[in-house]
Amino acid sequence: MNFNLVFNLTGKVLLLEGVSMLLPLYVAILYGESPLPFIYAVLITLFSGFILSRLPYKKHFFAREGFFAVGLIWVLMGLFGALPFHFCGQFNSFIDCLFECYSGFTTTGASILTNIEAMPKGILFWRSFTHWLGGMGVLVLTTALLPSMGLRSHFLIQAESPGPVFSKLMPKQSQTSKILYTIYCVMTVVEIGLLKLAGLPLYDSFIHAFSTAGTGGFSNRNLSVGAYENPTAEMIIAIFMLLFSVNFAMYFLLLCGRAKDVLNSDELRFFLGVTALAVFFSCINIYPIYHSVWQSFRFAFFQVSSIISTTGFATADYMTWPVFSQVIMILLLLCGACAGSTGGGMKCSRILLLVRCLRREIRQIIHPRNVSVVKLDGKVVEENTLRSVMLFTGCYFLISLMATLVVAMDNFSFTTSFSAAFTCMSNVGPGLDIVGPAGNFAAFSGLSKLVLSSCMVIGRLEIFPILVLFSRSAWRRA
Amino acid sequence: MKIVIVGAGKVGYALADQLCREKHDVTVIDSSEEAIRRTCDTLDVMGFKGNGVDISTLTQAGATDADLLVAATNMDELNMACCLTAKNMGTKYTIARVRNPEYYSSMGTIKRNFGIGMVINPENATAMEIARLLRFPSAADIESFCRGRVELMSFRVQEDDFITGKPLYSLSNQIQKLSMLFCAAERDGQVIIPNGSFVPQANDKLYIIGKPTGLDEFFRLLGRYNHKIRSVFVVGGGRVSIYLASLLEKMHIRVKLVERNEERCRLISEKLPKTMVICGDGTDQELLDSESLSSSDAFVALTDRDEDNLIISLYAMQQGLSKVIAKSNRQNYAGIAHAVGLDSIISPKLITAAHILHVVRGMGNSQGSVMQALYRIADDQAEATEFVVNKSTRHLGVPLKELKLKSGILIAVIVRDDVVIIPEGSTCIQDHDSIIIVSREQAITDVNDIFAPSFESGGRNEF
Repeated sequence: MNFNLVFNLTGKVLLLEGVSMLLPLYVAILYGESPLPFIYAVLITLFSGFILSRLPYKKHFFAREGFFAVGLIWVLMGLFGALPFHFCGQFNSFIDCLFECYSGFTTTGASILTNIEAMPKGILFWRSFTHWLGGMGVLVLTTALLPSMGLRSHFLIQAESPGPVFSKLMPKQSQTSKILYTIYCVMTVVEIGLLKLAGLPLYDSFIHAFSTAGTGGFSNRNLSVGAYENPTAEMIIAIFMLLFSVNFAMYFLLLCGRAKDVLNSDELRFFLGVTALAVFFSCINIYPIYHSVWQSFRFAFFQVSSIISTTGFATADYMTWPVFSQVIMILLLLCGACAGSTGGGMKCSRILLLVRCLRREIRQIIHPRNVSVVKLDGKVVEENTLRSVMLFTGCYFLISLMATLVVAMDNFSFTTSFSAAFTCMSNVGPGLDIVGPAGNFAAFSGLSKLVLSSCMVIGRLEIFPILVLFSRSAWRRA
Repeated sequence: MKIVIVGAGKVGYALADQLCREKHDVTVIDSSEEAIRRTCDTLDVMGFKGNGVDISTLTQAGATDADLLVAATNMDELNMACCLTAKNMGTKYTIARVRNPEYYSSMGTIKRNFGIGMVINPENATAMEIARLLRFPSAADIESFCRGRVELMSFRVQEDDFITGKPLYSLSNQIQKLSMLFCAAERDGQVIIPNGSFVPQANDKLYIIGKPTGLDEFFRLLGRYNHKIRSVFVVGGGRVSIYLASLLEKMHIRVKLVERNEERCRLISEKLPKTMVICGDGTDQELLDSESLSSSDAFVALTDRDEDNLIISLYAMQQGLSKVIAKSNRQNYAGIAHAVGLDSIISPKLITAAHILHVVRGMGNSQGSVMQALYRIADDQAEATEFVVNKSTRHLGVPLKELKLKSGILIAVIVRDDVVIIPEGSTCIQDHDSIIIVSREQAITDVNDIFAPSFESGGRNEF
């Protein structure tokens, strides 16, 4: 392991993080709050980043450095990102700060805050801004800003970007990253504008646009988006949640005028199909509660879009809905968004590949000598990719179940423990029962909070970069 | 520049690596997922799996607006078809790797009809490189222009050379008449573009440019040419060996070639009547000794195994041969070989990549007139560039003595209709000439860049 290179890279990312903390610092000053928590945090982060980025390093860089660096960077980023929360003094313990911060960067949106509206505006702004940063990925941002990292940054982006395979949009990584961030920024700005037009205060528009863009789910209101009672804003947010959970390569293709390729994308069709079906069935299921087609559609659409995009906003407490709808939500939570988006979960493309593998397996049983390949978007998927998809699925459930076991020590109901673990792993936010849309994670013990935080990071980075950190051979000097 | 490389094999990879370093946008197409993954994992390039002739793959890879497409798969026909397709789709320039000698006779037609801008044959290029190394055992480095018609070489001036301490204009008529020119000199890390009054001193590194025969003659007069190579021992009978042997035959160098396969030996002896073909195992020292390896002047190891080449080269060095050349495609072996004193390691893939790179650099630099080649000499402090003059060039037909050039610029050679001309005051540049310009510390990207600004304004007033 080329530690100096990894640390140097970490230093650069921390510098970036320190600089990005200036934005909430400005917000805090704007609203006349004490800028001290941010000033301390910025100084510490920039200082650490500066020291690390000064380290001399050797150039050799392989897959293991890539994975290791991404894992380490995400762990440290959360640690430093929690500093403003810690210094503001509104949190009970540093573990709470960590939980909140990891929840932010991983775009989970699970919170331990019971009264959000009482928090300083700067802190809430930072909380949502971490969603925005973590959504597209800090390393993608780093490669966009520092093209010199280009040569082997492929490993980094591969480790950070969600989905079974990562494909570049342009020959150079830095160009690809720039395109991704440009699309991301433009969409965010458009959403801020629309929300403002729909009647939300400017500050709230920013908060909600950041949370939607990263598919996170932090709101500055206790009742989340439901607090505004504003159907227009709800629709805007619901649609943008879906837009942000579509593979960003699709937007690039659209910009290149290749709409046909977009329409032929298996994953996109699957994603939209699942969304439509889920909206349809929960609509029928909750009709008896709301007695109006429009009302049931409004709530069903928002909740489905919120969960499948792994955002976690709420306009209605689906805990009051029939069990059928609740189970739909849990299934959507597992499925998650598209690969290459800002969303979490297992990703639609993986589910699709799993189903196709299953179909092939069955065909193989009936015709033992049959040879067939699995295709996605008309292209053959390599056996290696398929293998990693299955391994991923297995690990995903295994880790979630282990986390359920640890969380179960707190002696809450099975539904609570189970859904808490899975919702954190999928980066959604709300689960069922205590951790439902109306609840929060404050009641859990410190251990549970740590385990759930690590679940979020594992889920966001899709397992392997974090597991590499625990491999003994990765820690050997090379 | 946007560059598409078809085929991520040895040459394709080496080329992509180099082009990436020079900040070009590189896209790689290969039919093997494994090759694509290896390339994309280690280089900052975009990879596509597919056939290079397939229009949809080429479109994805951006061949419609690419500046250059290099077809370097292992199939000649595929490469040619690929260039044809890409050219029709809108790629500006195409390069194909074609190695089958049978296509060479009709290459002109093929190039024209397939829209191929340049054809490169790795084996032939390798053989030419080896032949050059064998021809000038004393020169430090050699670069060639205009497909080998002009060469640029450097050598270090010694105390007792007849040119030392005398200005160039006073050199004897014999030297003046040679088809060559002193184009640059390096003294204490400084580069000087010499004129007639330049006085060479001991320990200067002089760069001379001219016709290969002229350079030969100069070295002979200088007395540096005493150990001319007269016989070469070649091990391995692959394509490179055949190209090399036929080149050496033309240079009147005796060639002894050892090849293991009898069938192949017959073929070689049919093609190369003057070459002594020996059927046997070239790695067998007994055989090498019995064929009196030690009495040859040079040894070239060209078997298909890099390891064998290195080992038998070491053996040849041990036998006291002064010039030993080994082929090795694996770059990491070169370092090891260097450590044990084996300096001339030849790598076909790097030679091929270097040839293509010259074209790419030329394209990247040229705006009006087409730059054909660019070499940096004297620790990158000077450049030698080859241009093809066209209508856009100013002052065509004006004698050189009437032109005012920027300082530190020399028009070294003019090649007109394949004839090498060493320019004099009365020579003028004409349309379609190839000219080689040596310049100090400034990037010349167009022939028009060489004229001094004062002269330009004066020139315009006349019209």
